[in-house]
Amino acid sequence: MWSALLRSRLAPSSSAALHQQWRLGFPCASRASSTSSAAAAAPQGVDQWSILELPEVEKVLSDVRADDVKVIQGRKDRDWADYIVLATGRSSWHVKNIAQALLYKAKQKQKGAQRLMLPTVSWSTSSGGKSSAKKDEKEGKWVVIDSGKVVVHALDEEARAYYDLDGLLTTDTRQEDSIQDLGKAMVKIRRKNNSKRRTQDGA
Amino acid sequence: MIQPQSHLNVADNSGARELMCIRIIGASNRRYAHIGDIIVAVIKEALPNTPLERSEVIRAVIVRTCKELKRDNGMIIRYDDNAAVVIDQEGNPKGTRVFGAIARELRQLNFTKIVSLAPEVL
Repeated sequence: MWSALLRSRLAPSSSAALHQQWRLGFPCASRASSTSSAAAAAPQGVDQWSILELPEVEKVLSDVRADDVKVIQGRKDRDWADYIVLATGRSSWHVKNIAQALLYKAKQKQKGAQRLMLPTVSWSTSSGGKSSAKKDEKEGKWVVIDSGKVVVHALDEEARAYYDLDGLLTTDTRQEDSIQDLGKAMVKIRRKNNSKRRTQDGA
Repeated sequence: MIQPQSHLNVADNSGARELMCIRIIGASNRRYAHIGDIIVAVIKEALPNTPLERSEVIRAVIVRTCKELKRDNGMIIRYDDNAAVVIDQEGNPKGTRVFGAIARELRQLNFTKIVSLAPEVL
């Protein structure tokens, strides 16, 4: 269970003013810590805004033997992530393990840092049960590890086929001609005169 | 501002067409739900031959509200309809596609799955 404090929600590098604002908020804290003796202990060259880089994610995924890893680059219209990585786990246990491995990697990378930044993980928790023991039970159907720039989707085979994220993310659904369509829609159309009454000039 | 008895559209292909909020999850005496809140809803209208049926009680995440959503930078987002996405008890969306524009706030509220299915993120 990850407390809200541990969750760090990071912004993709290329995005709107909203993120810029957040970005301004934090770096002061890191600078303050790096000027102290922790500078040497601080992980070398860790960019705060990329907890996990794409090569690292790919390495971890190959280490845990995730199947069918697919990297999809973010597009202009999908600016909330630079890279989307899809991976399949063989069982729900395996899917959970993929997420754990990525979290572990993020922790290792920031060893010695004053403030640990971890990616947000959307576990599919079974919150339906009344007992607290049941509540913490994590299901491994679809786990999303959101580290800002790189968003990793770990799914089991069934969920991957069901949600068809590959199809959704790879097909270009942008409507280029929407503006032309709009133009057509805006054309003023003269109302057809269906009345039986003769027009005055026609009589 | 969604409260019990509010009717909402469904912004996914789960098969439900219209929902009615019956409870807001999170606090015992909460009056209104906003974007990103989970509600308990009853299906008022559903498409035939889909897993969801009329008068079924489900959970849903609000994704669009007529009530404006304010951001810290002064941006205000207001939609034309109230819409929700049907989720199951584990937080996975029931449908496989989400329609319409979705606010970025959902990602911060840990609904990355819904955001990744959406065609447009505001």
